[in-house]
Amino acid sequence: MLPMKTQDDLRTIVGEDGFFTEPEDLASYSYDAFVKEFMPDAVILPRSTQEVSRIMKVADREGLKIVARGAGTNLSGNSVARQGGMIMSFTRMNRIVEIDIPNRCAVVQPGVVNADLQKQVMKKGFFYPPDPASMAVCTLGGNVALNAGGPRAVKYGVTRDYVLGLEVVLADGEIIRTGGKTIKNVSGYDLTRLMVGSEGTLGIITEITLRLIPQPKASKTLLAVFSTVEEVAETVSAIVGAGIVPTTLELLDKVIIDLIRNVGSASFPLNAGGVLLIEVDGDEDAIEKESLKIAEFCRDRGAVQVEVAKTQEEAEKLWQARRSVGGAVYKACRSAVVEDAVVPVSELPRIIRTIGALSKKYNLKVGVNAHAGDGNLHPSIMTDVRNKEEMERVEKFIDEMYEQVIAMGGTLSGEHGIGIGKDKYMPLEFSRRAIDLMRGIKKVFDPKNLLNPGSFL
Amino acid sequence: MEDNDFEGFDRCAKCGICLAQCPVYKESLLEKASPRGKIQLAKFYKEGRGTLTEGYRGIYGQCLLCGACATVCPTGMKPHEIVLGMREEIVRERGLDDRGSRLVTSIQQSHNISQEDNEERGEWWEELKGLPGHRVEKEQAEVAYFVGCVASFFPMVQKIPRNMARILDQAGVDFALLCGEEWCCGFPLLAAGAPEKVRDLSQHNVEAVRRLGAEKVLFSCPSCYRTWKEHYNTRIVLQHTADCIHELIQSEKLHLKPLAPVRVAYHDSCDLGRHSGVYDTPRKVIQSIPGVTLVELEHNRAGSLCCGGGGNLETVSPELAGRLAKAKIEEIKQSGADVVVTACQQCVRTIASSARRQRLDLKVMDISELVCIALES
Repeated sequence: MLPMKTQDDLRTIVGEDGFFTEPEDLASYSYDAFVKEFMPDAVILPRSTQEVSRIMKVADREGLKIVARGAGTNLSGNSVARQGGMIMSFTRMNRIVEIDIPNRCAVVQPGVVNADLQKQVMKKGFFYPPDPASMAVCTLGGNVALNAGGPRAVKYGVTRDYVLGLEVVLADGEIIRTGGKTIKNVSGYDLTRLMVGSEGTLGIITEITLRLIPQPKASKTLLAVFSTVEEVAETVSAIVGAGIVPTTLELLDKVIIDLIRNVGSASFPLNAGGVLLIEVDGDEDAIEKESLKIAEFCRDRGAVQVEVAKTQEEAEKLWQARRSVGGAVYKACRSAVVEDAVVPVSELPRIIRTIGALSKKYNLKVGVNAHAGDGNLHPSIMTDVRNKEEMERVEKFIDEMYEQVIAMGGTLSGEHGIGIGKDKYMPLEFSRRAIDLMRGIKKVFDPKNLLNPGSFL
Repeated sequence: MEDNDFEGFDRCAKCGICLAQCPVYKESLLEKASPRGKIQLAKFYKEGRGTLTEGYRGIYGQCLLCGACATVCPTGMKPHEIVLGMREEIVRERGLDDRGSRLVTSIQQSHNISQEDNEERGEWWEELKGLPGHRVEKEQAEVAYFVGCVASFFPMVQKIPRNMARILDQAGVDFALLCGEEWCCGFPLLAAGAPEKVRDLSQHNVEAVRRLGAEKVLFSCPSCYRTWKEHYNTRIVLQHTADCIHELIQSEKLHLKPLAPVRVAYHDSCDLGRHSGVYDTPRKVIQSIPGVTLVELEHNRAGSLCCGGGGNLETVSPELAGRLAKAKIEEIKQSGADVVVTACQQCVRTIASSARRQRLDLKVMDISELVCIALES
């Protein structure tokens, strides 16, 4: 429990309706979308940068640990108080400060919901591409802190590629600004990029300047069905290698196809071993040509069926099927462990084979969907957390998978973050010296280790 | 709540997608107000990690039971049912609070939600002119029209049964009211966490309909309709008036005249739409009136935004319910419609009262009113 004096100080800053210590309030901030849960000592909801700064001054004085939280949709346990302390929820700092058309950027508070910004900029003919699966609810502050991606990353990149500037409250309460509204900026170290993906360990993000791009005029969706998932993987790496850049290139393996066959209105042939769902966008003429070329590419590499959605409704049906994957996986089992690994695109066929072999070795039901165009895989292990023996096999499966991923030149996480879920694998990807450098950076920013302590470092 | 429901909590993947749908969460932006929060807190309690304080009553009271969360849940959970289960658990463990007690007493003693003399249910009928007086005198009828407490006692919406009676009369339907023999359907008790008290009401109502010899019961109130369907043990045909009007138009028993061009938005009430699956017939009725253009609200059909009148929220937290009604009105204004039509007396009352408080000139009507205008134009 926080000392009464500290509680009073914090309550003075945000008011009665912004500071909570009741057991029900604490319990409702003890989780995010990751499996492990930790009870915080308090919850605070600031409404302005000044309030955040004042809160951090109290935290600095009292040695109070702070975990920043957006909507709590992350899959890596990045918004739970692993070592206790206070959750700082940003849901009430949700104002779009400005949509600056001449400078093609938007300035937002961290609690703005991703989809809300997308909707607003679209009205002005602009486009904010990062589209994490939780975009209807996840916040842009969380997106920046975890460098969120999404299916469109193949063509448009991830959150990092859109962050121009930040306002950050440091661990001692001082407010700094990094970057600005300009695309070009090579002055000093790139603190903006350092903050992006730092998982709440370096500072508290209180304002974000995001780059916008013109909205593509049209889009087209294709579905290619293959007999084997290896053929799908080969096709992906061939498409990318040929210099074609679709907006999305989504791969679904047989396990997943069988799960979603009866969900919604999608229909996949029974003999499908794997499918590719492809979207291209741009000018009408260009996407017409591109989609023909992709269709031909798929057929040449063994696709048994290639379908181009003729109407928006047909395309929507296919994407609906894709969106139903998560739910279908969770429905098919007691508990699902969803992983997030990345390999160079050319290694896709190999990692798919490896995952197949490992699931046999450990006798686990594993389905794979992947943002294949950028080599980002989400193997879903369908299991039951109550079954200790099986969970041990799950752990071994994951250990071995990441060893292989790293050996192929890949990385531990493409878009979910390390958090408290994958911290133990860090030495696989980084040398001791590299990790020490990160710890050194952390120390410079947060010498008292107040910010999201116990996360990946 | 049964133990197997408790097991079901694990089905919540904690993904948070439901937060985007929840009108109550969007107001406070506190996790405990969200469907995910309510599921997780129920789990905490059931696992013995939380005590059932008055705080819990406050949390589970703040729900419209609108079910919007369930339409997007990837694992198919129904958070609103967990909320109902927890309301029951709280009543079992801690008893009813004052508000709940008043409601239960009112319904048990006066058989309606307004603590009025139940014999006065049919009063609005007196004002009807030119219709055969088959009000109380009628001892047998093919159709029983179950008016519902809201339309019986709130003057603002008494025109709904009045209009419906005109429609039925014009179509030559042999119908009767239950008048003083109509007792509250029990819906408010279900929402208050006191479902065991619904039985007496249901038995009485079914018996009253049986005495009339009716083969069908008609409801303007989607909540009464749903309560009968889900909690009454009867084989009598149950029909909402929107479906009934549609049938009467289809069988050419009603002849709608053209109206001057008007844009009509249809608001899907939670109990008729999401909870009963009636989306198309009210729209077809609206579209069958010459001159009327149907406009869709941004959130429609299964995605419809609750007006704020659901789940007894209005009695627990009138201020919050008021803000939700305001959001609904904002959506209606955005649609550019001249009139908003719904098929629920509670929605009409909530939206119209809020518009009146805001001094807005918003035309809100039940589908029966629009149809009546087209019959008489």
